Formats: sequence, structure tokens, C-alpha cells
Amino acid sequence: MIFQALRERGVEGERVDVNTITLGLSEGINGYDVVLVRCLSHLRALYASKLLGDNGQCMVNTYEVIATSGDKLLTSLALVKRGVPTPRTKVAFTTQSALQSIEQMGYPVVLKPLNGSWGRLLAKINDRDAAETILEHKHTLGGYRHSVFYIQEYIDKPGRDIRSFVVGGEVIAAIYRHAPHWITNTARGGEAVACPITPQIEHLSRAAAEAVGGGVVAIDILEAPDGRLLVSEVNHTPEFRNSIAPTGVDIAGRIVDYVLEVAAMEPGRSRHECSAEQSD
Amino acid sequence: MLSRTVRLGVLCSRIRLEEKLIFRALEERGVEYDRLDERRLALQLQANGLVEKYDLIWCRSISHSRALYALSILNGWGIKTVNSYQVVQTCGDKVLTTTALIQHGVPTPRTVVALSVEAALQAIEEMGYPVVLKPAMGSWGRLLSKVNDRETAEAVLKHKATLGGPMHSVFYIQEYVDKPSRDIRTLVIGEEVVYAMYRRSAHWITNTARGGEALLCPLSPEIRDLSLAAAQAVGGGILAVDLMETDDGRLVVGEVNHTPEFHGAMQAVDVDIAGKMVDYMLQQA
Repeated sequence: MIFQALRERGVEGERVDVNTITLGLSEGINGYDVVLVRCLSHLRALYASKLLGDNGQCMVNTYEVIATSGDKLLTSLALVKRGVPTPRTKVAFTTQSALQSIEQMGYPVVLKPLNGSWGRLLAKINDRDAAETILEHKHTLGGYRHSVFYIQEYIDKPGRDIRSFVVGGEVIAAIYRHAPHWITNTARGGEAVACPITPQIEHLSRAAAEAVGGGVVAIDILEAPDGRLLVSEVNHTPEFRNSIAPTGVDIAGRIVDYVLEVAAMEPGRSRHECSAEQSD
Repeated sequence: MLSRTVRLGVLCSRIRLEEKLIFRALEERGVEYDRLDERRLALQLQANGLVEKYDLIWCRSISHSRALYALSILNGWGIKTVNSYQVVQTCGDKVLTTTALIQHGVPTPRTVVALSVEAALQAIEEMGYPVVLKPAMGSWGRLLSKVNDRETAEAVLKHKATLGGPMHSVFYIQEYVDKPSRDIRTLVIGEEVVYAMYRRSAHWITNTARGGEALLCPLSPEIRDLSLAAAQAVGGGILAVDLMETDDGRLVVGEVNHTPEFHGAMQAVDVDIAGKMVDYMLQQA
């Protein structure tokens, strides 16, 4: 859909396939005014944006945005620092300390891998039996992903959460994701319904986007039983095909327009939008 | 004390307290034995020098997969082992153990085996909560899961699927037996039940390796008969049998262990366990 929006605007867009490119450490890829990162692999997006951005390539999103929003701990930290309301979160580094902080937080809690998408390996923990066995499984899984335990209070949402799309500081669309399951990702069967962009949702979404460094992001917002809105996650390469019909917003077109706007800032590039700022 | 010379090999890896006691009991009886360290062992599949060398090989390996393959080769050559390959194979795999128990009419908790995450979730929902998920292979209570609700079932199954490998792609699902904060472990040597002990624990996992406390358990005829039946079901030898007391007063067999540890039991029972094992071994040779 992004390619189609490019064609409609008469823009020459070239597909740069991460499966085939190789990048030098001190050379960019020539000939692009701007590169939009849309690859599915977080790690590939992360390093491609770093290498290209450091070599002066204008990127959407920047390395900073991808690094922060691709890691739930860094996201939470950025949100908390900017005063954006987010669920209570703790991090533990061993199964013993994780069990202790889960018991202190009180059940239910949610355990999430620090990075990962589509609701994979999220665990809702309702009691100590579950905590013990899930932590033991994570420990056995081992490796980088599963040796840091991200523990979050469970927000008893009203059978839905909110996803808003922020493009260059503007909230362009929002949906409710309805699901009987507590994991509401549309990739897991959650149903998308238009959500009015209230001033509160708008304010919160912009604040969250700004906290991770702007660009093109999707914000996940939870409605707490006491009526508060809490930001749970920020996504740096949002899927949006299920959100176009319910909202009537041409999300691909809006993203492309923003990317072209960023490209038009060349050569006097905005330090805020382009990742050249990474080099200080 | 036997007068004839028995040529014995003891297949082992890490030497625990149990192996030290076994070696001492062998030395007290004047039995000559070779320690065969599986970590240094390369077994020729064609030549079979060990056949002339040993009357019997006693397996005290702590690695199930190593024990299993070593025994298959040794038994294949016609060398007698305690336990036999077949016994180790059956006891080392909970699916095979439960199947053997059921085939021999030994009471055991209701069990379902599922071969996919989806089928497992459905089987768990049909069985009703709580259920216990166990890796088909594994010891010391590792990666056992007590699953009290659907959300836990989903999370545990997804984590198992991510763990992957043959061990975590077969789902062994068992009804949870609400034991009275203890289970019973008996030691069967040949035709004899040498002792019974309670493993008391506030945790539902009662393994002494995980902090369960060993206490003497009176060896009732029911416990004796059930232990012998369970040992016989898996093929007999030197075996530890785990029994659980259900809330309606029945006894069911949970697992049978082919290379029992017994240092926990020594706190509770006044039996020369290593000596009994060695005497049985010499009779077999």
C-alpha cells in the first residue's frame, strides 16, 4: 500500500530488500533522499537504520526511535521520563528476584519479552504456580531475550484497547481493537473499530511519540477500570491494513506524504527528523 | 559375600554421594570393579571387547540419553546390565512409563498426550483445571507446570513451543492429584521393597532435590504391592517408585525412576541401601 501511495504521487520509490543488501560501516547507500524502514525484523531495522543514519542518510524512522520503541524496557523508561502515564513496571534479572517482585506487585501481572511483536510470548500470570513455571521456562529458553524479566501490572481493560497512529507529530487515526482475549493484537484476531480521537487520546499519543523520538509510530493505549488512559507500547513499524477501512484514513498516503516532507527538508535537514543527530 | 569372582563395571559420570556409598559397599565385599566414566567412553559398535571383560555392568549414569544409548549397545552385545536398556527406556520417558503402568493395571493419574499446542490446549480444557504438564523426559521436578487456568495453559504451551525440540513438542498432560503435602517414594530392589518414605513439602513438587523433607513411611501391604507391581510393569531391577495419596484415599503411581538417588532417604530410613543394591547386583551376575 505504501508502494501504491508512492506511485499515485509520482514518486520514484525503490525497494531496498534487507535480505539482499550489505552495508559497509562507513558508506551509505547512494541516491536516496530518504529511506523509510519497513522491515519486519527488529534487529535488521535497528542496524540498518544505524548504519544508514550514521552515514548521513535521512531515515524514517530514525535509529533512536527504532532502538527505543523496539525495546519495551527502553520504551517504558522514555515514557516515564516524559511523564507519560504507563502501567507500573518492574525489571528483574534473575528468576528468584522476578518471582519476588511479582509477589510484591500482586496478581495478575503480565510478563513480556523485551522485544517482540504480535503479542508473542506474552504471559498473563494469575498465581504463584504460573509465575514459577513460566519463569522456569523463560530461564530454560535462556539467551539474551529471556534473561531480563519485564514485569507489568495487568490492566483490566474493557475487552478492547486503543491503537493510535502518529505521523510526524500528528495523530492521524485511532482504532479500538476489540477482542475477548486479553491479547488484543489484530494479528491475533482482535477486531478493529474506529475510535474517536479525543483530546486526551491525541495529547497522550503525541506525548508518547515524542518520548520515543517522533517519526511514524503506533501507540497502544489501555483504558484502566478507573478511567485513566495508560500507554503500554510504541511500535516503530506499524501494520495498518486492518485500520484503514474502519477509520477511513489513507494511512499509507499520510505516511508517504510525511516521508516526502522529511525528504524535502534536504539538504538543510532538520536535526530532529533525521538521524544525523546520532553522531552528536 | 560371594566366593566366585564377579567382573563388574560401573558406568557413571559425576560421582555423587550415592556412588561413593556404592563403591564403598563393593569394596567391603571384596568385589573388584571398574569405574567406566561415560565421559571418556567410546563404544565400538562392531568389536565388543567388553563382553569378555565383564559379567555385568551397573549403570549409575545421571544422563538419561547417555545411559540409554550405552545400555542399548551393551545389551546389544549380550552384556547384562542393571537396569536393562528396556527398563531405562521405559522409566526415562513418562509417556512410556504411564503406558506400561496402565497396561499392567497399576493405578495412575488420568493422563493425555497431545502432539500440538492446539490439541494440548483442548485436552487441558476437557480434563479441567488444575492439570500438571510434564516434559516426557526429565528429572528432579524440572519444568513441571501446575496449570490452574486457561491463561496459564496458553502461556506455558507457547513457551514450550518456543523451547522447541523433541522434548517440548509432545505434551504430557496429567490430572493434578491434590496430595496431602507429601508423596511416597519406595525403593524396589528385585522382588523386595526395601523402604518407603514420605517426601513432605509445602510445595506441590515434593522432590528432595527441591527441598522436600524425607520422613519414614510405614510400609503397608498396599504400598508394598503397588510398588512391586509398578516395578514389574516397567521391567524390574533397582527402581524408585513415586506414589501419591489421592483425597479419596486411593494410592496412585506417578513415576518410576531408573537410577534412584537415595541420600535423602538415608536421613529417614535405617537400611544399608547401597549394601542391599550391591548384594542384588552380585546375585544377578
